[in-house]
Amino acid sequence: MKKNMKRYLFVAILFLILLVLPFCLPESIVYLLGLMFLFILYVVSWDIVAGYTGQINLGHTVFIGIGGYTTALLQNSWRFTNFMDFLAPLPPLPIWLTILLGGVNALITGLIVGIICLRLRGYYLALVTAVLPLICIQLVNIYSPVFGGYEGFSIGFGKSLAQRVIFRYYFSMTVCVVSLLALYFILKSKIGVKFKAIREDEELAESVGMNVVKYKLLAFCISAFFAGIAGAVAVHYRLTVGTDLFDIPLMLMIILSAIIGGLGSFHGVILGSVIIYLLKNWIIKNALGLMRLEFPDEIILYFLLIILILKAPRGIIAKLSELTRTEVSRVLFKKE
Amino acid sequence: MITEILILGTVIGGIWALVASGFSLMFGVARILNFAHGIFFVLGAYFTISLNSKLSSVLAQYSLPFSIFLSIFLVGIVGLIIYRLFLSPLKEHEIMVILVTLAIALLLEELLLMIFKDISISVPSVLHGTLSFFGIPITYTRILALFLAIALLVILELFTNKTRTGKSILATSQDKEAAMLIGIDVDRVYSMVAFISASFASLAGILYSQIYAVNPETALRVLIYAFAIVILGGLGNVRGSIVAAFIIGYLQVATSLSLGTRWSEVLAMIVIISILIIRPKGLFGVEV
Repeated sequence: MKKNMKRYLFVAILFLILLVLPFCLPESIVYLLGLMFLFILYVVSWDIVAGYTGQINLGHTVFIGIGGYTTALLQNSWRFTNFMDFLAPLPPLPIWLTILLGGVNALITGLIVGIICLRLRGYYLALVTAVLPLICIQLVNIYSPVFGGYEGFSIGFGKSLAQRVIFRYYFSMTVCVVSLLALYFILKSKIGVKFKAIREDEELAESVGMNVVKYKLLAFCISAFFAGIAGAVAVHYRLTVGTDLFDIPLMLMIILSAIIGGLGSFHGVILGSVIIYLLKNWIIKNALGLMRLEFPDEIILYFLLIILILKAPRGIIAKLSELTRTEVSRVLFKKE
Repeated sequence: MITEILILGTVIGGIWALVASGFSLMFGVARILNFAHGIFFVLGAYFTISLNSKLSSVLAQYSLPFSIFLSIFLVGIVGLIIYRLFLSPLKEHEIMVILVTLAIALLLEELLLMIFKDISISVPSVLHGTLSFFGIPITYTRILALFLAIALLVILELFTNKTRTGKSILATSQDKEAAMLIGIDVDRVYSMVAFISASFASLAGILYSQIYAVNPETALRVLIYAFAIVILGGLGNVRGSIVAAFIIGYLQVATSLSLGTRWSEVLAMIVIISILIIRPKGLFGVEV
């Protein structure tokens, strides 16, 4: 009981810090932090399929992108002309509704992908799911009058979540916190246990009477829904939609964050995504700026990534918490 | 149209067969899914261009063939180094191998973009002129590409089945532990396969860039085709991959002639996914 109290206290303090933070930081960093919340959601939702049910889905960005494009297109329904004409005269819908529809659309995609992946194992699963985002990028490019091609399109300033960055920050924080809570309770419940059973031994789970097919599909649906919501919110946050939502570098960052945090560990994955996001978008960029080096920050990032994987293939945080048995790490990474 | 598809498809199929056989060999022997395979393809073309421009004043007309040979060798060495440094210590963690090869591919792509900018390049042809075949003009470059691709695949087949070293590769792919027990140096076999796989891809890249243009982003498209082919042919099944490479080649040319080039990748991928839904282990699949 006492341990639980400490945990709640820790979360409450963290929450307070996040609430006050935008008042103490420059606007550009607040903007970054807001996007970071959505990135956390991408990673945690990926971890449901990869970490909990143990299926390496390399096509998670499909869900993010579909969520994003759904809301962007519904907000700009004239883009459907000559493509899906019945959708073109759609009246302007409220933003929260199209974000939700983005999530639903991603969920349907997740169900289809899940059905395709049911019969695939291991490497075949990895290959097929790796191909899916590439198909999406090609399709977006082929129908560029609708989807805006590689560059994407701007959804219009009026479609923003809020005019001021600070309110957008709070919005994305709320979405993130609510979704994380929902996911936390789902994974805490019997469903989470069943997901883990699939990961540990699929045949055994089936032989004790578990409906493996149902839970595998459920994992895909939950994962896709939250990724779609996060992608849709990201579009309204940045005001643009583009193929970067589908692209491989994003997928790489997601996998990397989950692995650094330790697959299948809820808190670890969140921390991992914070570290990777800040490292990519803030620390490396600033360091390069300070050293007046004129080359893409991605190069440094990929280089660090390779070193990191070589040195600690079991996850950085697992390694750190082994090394430092402090109170914080015990609270954060308590074995569940 | 049919003859055009057959002729052009055979040439491109030969090039894809080179790419896919290396990819499949690496998986079949070392169980490594190499996402950096596409970058070897592109590196081959870029090495040749750079070497040729440096050497052309010294070697005159011999400069191009020499640079081609040298860059095939160099890319093979790059593949070997990548294997020794990054893949060999991680081999047991399958996700880590995917991640690290993906990161290497993106890193090298960014480096190429930084050095050569986003401009498409073409390697100059070794042979000039065209041949008319059933009324369709074919450049000698294409004929040479097909000839080289088939010759190399035949050599690979002979090498793995007839020579002692080749047989040790075959043995390792069938059973790693048993191969170790009878005294095969498995790690040496893996290094050899990494070298062969990368140099095949680079030759394919050089041949491709004599016909079409290549830029750093081509690496990704090549990887898509390699995936498609090995899924169709069965992971780790080199002969299946070669057959699948020609199927994909015909399909690619047929779609780009009828629907437009940009559709060819989408259609190829959709066909592959539908095949997998029906036969989860690929057309000529083996147990993984």
